[in-house]
Amino acid sequence: MATRTVTVVRPRSGGHSWWVSPLAMLQGMWIAQRHFLRNLWGWIIGKPTVFTVQYPEQRLIHPGAFRGMPVLVQMDTGKERCVACGLCEWACPTDCITIFPAETADEIERYPRLFDIDMSRCMFCGLCEEACPEEAIVMSQRVEIGAFSRRGTVWHKADLLVPADQLMDTRLHHVRRSYDR
Amino acid sequence: MPTITIDGQIIEAADGAMLLPVALEHGIHIPHYCWHPKLSIDGSCRMCQVEVEGSPKLVIACNTPVRDGMVVHTSTPRVETTRRGVMELLLVNHPLDCPICDKAGECLLQDYAYAFGSRHTRTREPRRKLEKRKDIGPRMILDQERCILCRRCVRFCREITKSNELGVFGMGDRSVLDVLDDAPLANPYSINTADICPVGALESKDFHHKVRVWFLKKTPSVCGSCANGCNITIHHYRNQIWRLMPRRNDAVNETWMCDHGRLNYQFVQSPERLRQPLLRRDGGLQPCTWDDAIGEAARQLYHAAHAEGGGAIGAIASPHLTNEEQFRFAQLLQALAATHVDLAVVEGPADDVLVKAEKAANARGARDMGLRPAPGGAGVPRLLDAAAAGQIRVLYVCGADLWETADRAALERALAGVHCLIVQDVRRSPLAEHAHVVLPSLTFAEKTGTFTNHAGRVQRVHQAIAPAEGQLSDGEIFTRLLNRVTEGRWSFEPTAVLAEIAAAVPAYQGVSFARVGGLGWPLAETASATPTGAGTAQGASV
Repeated sequence: MATRTVTVVRPRSGGHSWWVSPLAMLQGMWIAQRHFLRNLWGWIIGKPTVFTVQYPEQRLIHPGAFRGMPVLVQMDTGKERCVACGLCEWACPTDCITIFPAETADEIERYPRLFDIDMSRCMFCGLCEEACPEEAIVMSQRVEIGAFSRRGTVWHKADLLVPADQLMDTRLHHVRRSYDR
Repeated sequence: MPTITIDGQIIEAADGAMLLPVALEHGIHIPHYCWHPKLSIDGSCRMCQVEVEGSPKLVIACNTPVRDGMVVHTSTPRVETTRRGVMELLLVNHPLDCPICDKAGECLLQDYAYAFGSRHTRTREPRRKLEKRKDIGPRMILDQERCILCRRCVRFCREITKSNELGVFGMGDRSVLDVLDDAPLANPYSINTADICPVGALESKDFHHKVRVWFLKKTPSVCGSCANGCNITIHHYRNQIWRLMPRRNDAVNETWMCDHGRLNYQFVQSPERLRQPLLRRDGGLQPCTWDDAIGEAARQLYHAAHAEGGGAIGAIASPHLTNEEQFRFAQLLQALAATHVDLAVVEGPADDVLVKAEKAANARGARDMGLRPAPGGAGVPRLLDAAAAGQIRVLYVCGADLWETADRAALERALAGVHCLIVQDVRRSPLAEHAHVVLPSLTFAEKTGTFTNHAGRVQRVHQAIAPAEGQLSDGEIFTRLLNRVTEGRWSFEPTAVLAEIAAAVPAYQGVSFARVGGLGWPLAETASATPTGAGTAQGASV
């Protein structure tokens, strides 16, 4: 096979003259200063013009499809909706849910005596919510799982309970719509 | 022999056989609820309908005898429409309890609804309201709403236990399964009705709301509660036993097991289990290392045997250990030339269904391995008298059966007479309080080996539960003692020990784990008549 030699000609510098660099620096400074002054003015007159959210003092309200950590839905009676059927425990890809069922004298005869979620293992996938036949475990807006020990990242039933009316707008409507319930 | 064709498969069937069992045997699954291999034919569920060429209507496979030249189709559109209809009718009144029902996951109604049912319900009427959680006996509860009226349980109580507690009351759509108020479901086999119930109508109180069935791991084993040796499956999860279920073995227990055996598993995970060897020091029993405990036991046995001869050692074997362990114990006693060897077995009521009088799994195996009085040796009563008279220096007791069977006063006198008492048990029994050395051992669920049932059938147990860290099996303890006493280098590997048994015990010639398999291996008939080892006709009197 015959070889073909190609000579590539490249410009020596970036094609700019030397005086462009200080100009670019000045331009960058101007952009930063412009933002600073605009933010400062917005802050003084009380109408911030930037998107930055001052977390943790300010928090965003996420859309319904947002998946934060899973929580348990609490009924008006103060009890959990969960009947400890174990489907979320089975569906969970990271095995972060632990349930011990028990019997009560109520009409719904089963309840979780213990319901633990290890948030350090949870990957917020939402499969537990999809598996749940009772609409008892749903994804929430919460994302803060920080703790001072590994044991602290395990959330118990009492920590996980959230009243149903608080979850209605944020997630329950979305769940009913997306899973055709 | 009629030759029939099912779904194009040509099958030779036995004369007079019904279509359904023939199809099932050949791997063709016809859905069914009311048919059960060990019960009479009811024909009430209508689920097993199939199309037979030449027959104008569909026929139920469970009650149609095979006929030469019969051509059967199990999944034509007509059959499938009918099945869907049957499923729809069964589900009209079935409550939507699956999330709280113990049967969910192994429920035939669930499985067939997925396989053959329609996705949506067409009824708008409220479902039938009946009694839920009805207490129908000491071990069973009934949920009448869930019942699909297949009447398997009714036939079980009529044909197997012959106690007739359960019945279907009312007619038509008011039919309801129930018991009479003055006749609760209390027969000793009542929990079998929960096994054969295709839905979650009958449930065992012991398993009620405990664990979801899909989490359970299943290990084949043999029930340890009597000499019958019913084949069972241990259902375990999180290293705990949650229930024992019968495993089909037509030569032993068909598909049944008694309630006592089924519920007798809590001792495996009891907090009273001994987990550490104990030695008597400064007047009290104190935890020690295995080396200390086994060293002390071996020293006592060795000195007794060498200073005063084998007659100074008394040994009571446990009927709960595997053949391999019994064999090692017999070897140990032989090495010490011990003659006062016997077996203590708790006896109780027996019946003509399954339950046998000897309340231990392997009394037969222990005797076969030679754990019975040698010539000139004493059985339990004489052994205790000899101990009371100070003739026995070291008494080695395995298991708690001696404490439960022996005369309490004679036992107290004997314990006062012995110099050293070695107790090997799974729990801290009252006998252990008198001991000098206590060796904790393992239960049937924690080890691998074989049991020999009352009829001489060698059956296999598998390890289901991992023992606590540092625990040794009985066989390992015997082997370590044997090594100390004889300066030998034995090891305890059940497969290898079984091979030693096959070589040493005539009746067990040819036995191996492969031969025992899942359903057991019967010893030759003559074996039971021929005494083995050093045993004599006076045998193991209890």
